[in-house]
Amino acid sequence: MKTLNHIGTVLLVEAIVLCVIASFRLINPLSAAIQSLATLLVFNIIFLTLFFQLDGKLNFKLLLIVFGNFIGLCWTFIFHGLSVAGATFFGSAFNHLSLIFFPFLSSLWIVSFWSLSITVLRRSNFYEEYPV
Amino acid sequence: MILEVLEFFFLILTAVMIAYLFRHYIFTISVLRSLKKSHFKRQVSSFQPTVSILIPASNEEKVIGRLLKRITNFTYPKEKLQVIVIDDASNDRTGEIADDFKNKYPFVEVVHRSVNVGRKGKASAMNHGFESVKNDVVLCFDADYYPQNDIVENLIQVFDDPKVGAVQGRVVVLNEPQNLVTRIVALERTGGYRVDQEARSMLNLITQFGGTVGGFRRSVLIDLGGWNESILAEDTDLTFRVYLAGYKIRYCVNAECYEEAVDNWNSYWHQRYRWAKGHMQCFFKHSVPVMKSKKLSAKEKLDGIMLLGVYFMPILVLLSIFVGVPLIFQDLLVVEIGWIAIPISLYCFVGNFAPFFEVGAGLYLDGRTRTQWLIPLLLFTFLFNIPICVKAFFSVVYCKFLRKNRHVWVKTTHSGSGNCYIDNPSLRVVDKK
Repeated sequence: MKTLNHIGTVLLVEAIVLCVIASFRLINPLSAAIQSLATLLVFNIIFLTLFFQLDGKLNFKLLLIVFGNFIGLCWTFIFHGLSVAGATFFGSAFNHLSLIFFPFLSSLWIVSFWSLSITVLRRSNFYEEYPV
Repeated sequence: MILEVLEFFFLILTAVMIAYLFRHYIFTISVLRSLKKSHFKRQVSSFQPTVSILIPASNEEKVIGRLLKRITNFTYPKEKLQVIVIDDASNDRTGEIADDFKNKYPFVEVVHRSVNVGRKGKASAMNHGFESVKNDVVLCFDADYYPQNDIVENLIQVFDDPKVGAVQGRVVVLNEPQNLVTRIVALERTGGYRVDQEARSMLNLITQFGGTVGGFRRSVLIDLGGWNESILAEDTDLTFRVYLAGYKIRYCVNAECYEEAVDNWNSYWHQRYRWAKGHMQCFFKHSVPVMKSKKLSAKEKLDGIMLLGVYFMPILVLLSIFVGVPLIFQDLLVVEIGWIAIPISLYCFVGNFAPFFEVGAGLYLDGRTRTQWLIPLLLFTFLFNIPICVKAFFSVVYCKFLRKNRHVWVKTTHSGSGNCYIDNPSLRVVDKK
């Protein structure tokens, strides 16, 4: 069981790393790729460092972060797909608009994901400290 | 040339935003890490100084009775307690209700201020009440607050240390379930008091005295000359005067007191405008003395300056958007990366610049399960605060340059809407003790 858990941990960490790499390698142009990489890195830095301070099993926390990365990656693909299509119809100025709006729209899912995931990781010993 | 100047300006603004976010990230990590060391364990202390409680009240008939009734149930020895209600020219039954308590309980005193003397703001009322203080420690409560029975014991224990000049307790919103405004204020209080204040106290930074649910050594207040009546944020002003005098302020997270939060956007605007303006006044007054002070450590100076500048942040964020947009059209990669800091800054509370992750951590520590879902609404609160801070900034600058003292104290009215949450325990969502 312990070995399975370790294997699970390694696979989950790998999934996170792959999502981060994919967010850079599969996006064009370079400025959009850097923005999407930076967004996913910010997400991972905040979530990985803060989640490890909270109660709950390691693999469950990693699974949540993988899920967040997957949402982020899907969102990045959809957004940049739309921006490429937009740029084809409306010209290159559309690319700049997408660079402006991408972080704002990305923050919507990051903050929402944080608010939902912190609900899942409720503090296990709280009601022992504070019996109602 | 203009482009390079704008780029440099944008990078400075982004660096300030990142510095604030990093500061709160450190706060959040520190408090979460301290979970293992039980902070909630009550320290039993035999230290029992004599305590005076100041309660400024102007037209508070709907709430003053419940506070005074609560104080009569305090577990602190009554022979060591003096309660002074400052009836600040009320034209309702506030003075009458306070007089009823005075007649029943010998430790309650009432100072009545006439219309000619009163209504000049909280600081003026506090100074008037302070003249009647006889005891070693002075605690302050606003009339709409509802403290725990053992709050005095919890607050005064820090005065065991002679370096401590003041103490601050935790503020929790009583009428949280009332509506969206009260729920958002509750989120802000959680981030500010459960994480921010605790981290600052723990890391030996500048713990802020919030004007209520806290107190001072009487000797320190005498040395400092009491409350400053010309500044709207008299609490922040006192905080820095305490630190500049070489004392410390400690925070007691287990000294909880419930407040009736503003319950509509109009009251929210007026309250935040007063706070923003007062805070900016303090920035102009204290930033240079803080930097020059030999009584403050380097980290206290840095934190002090950041604390003083917190209400400028919405203005800086707005500026960075205006400066950044044209730069992105110039394909500047550094700007495109720095641009990411702006949306994160929009999910912060203005009063303490607590970001979404700090608020979430506070709610987690409080054992909350569903309140977190409101965190995305921080965006709208921040946007609402931008015009408040811009207006406050122009007002402070206008008054400073024209040397006019037009700072009018707009009192927050309390409707007594929190009373039903005291009487109905099932509605009390926070007090699990």
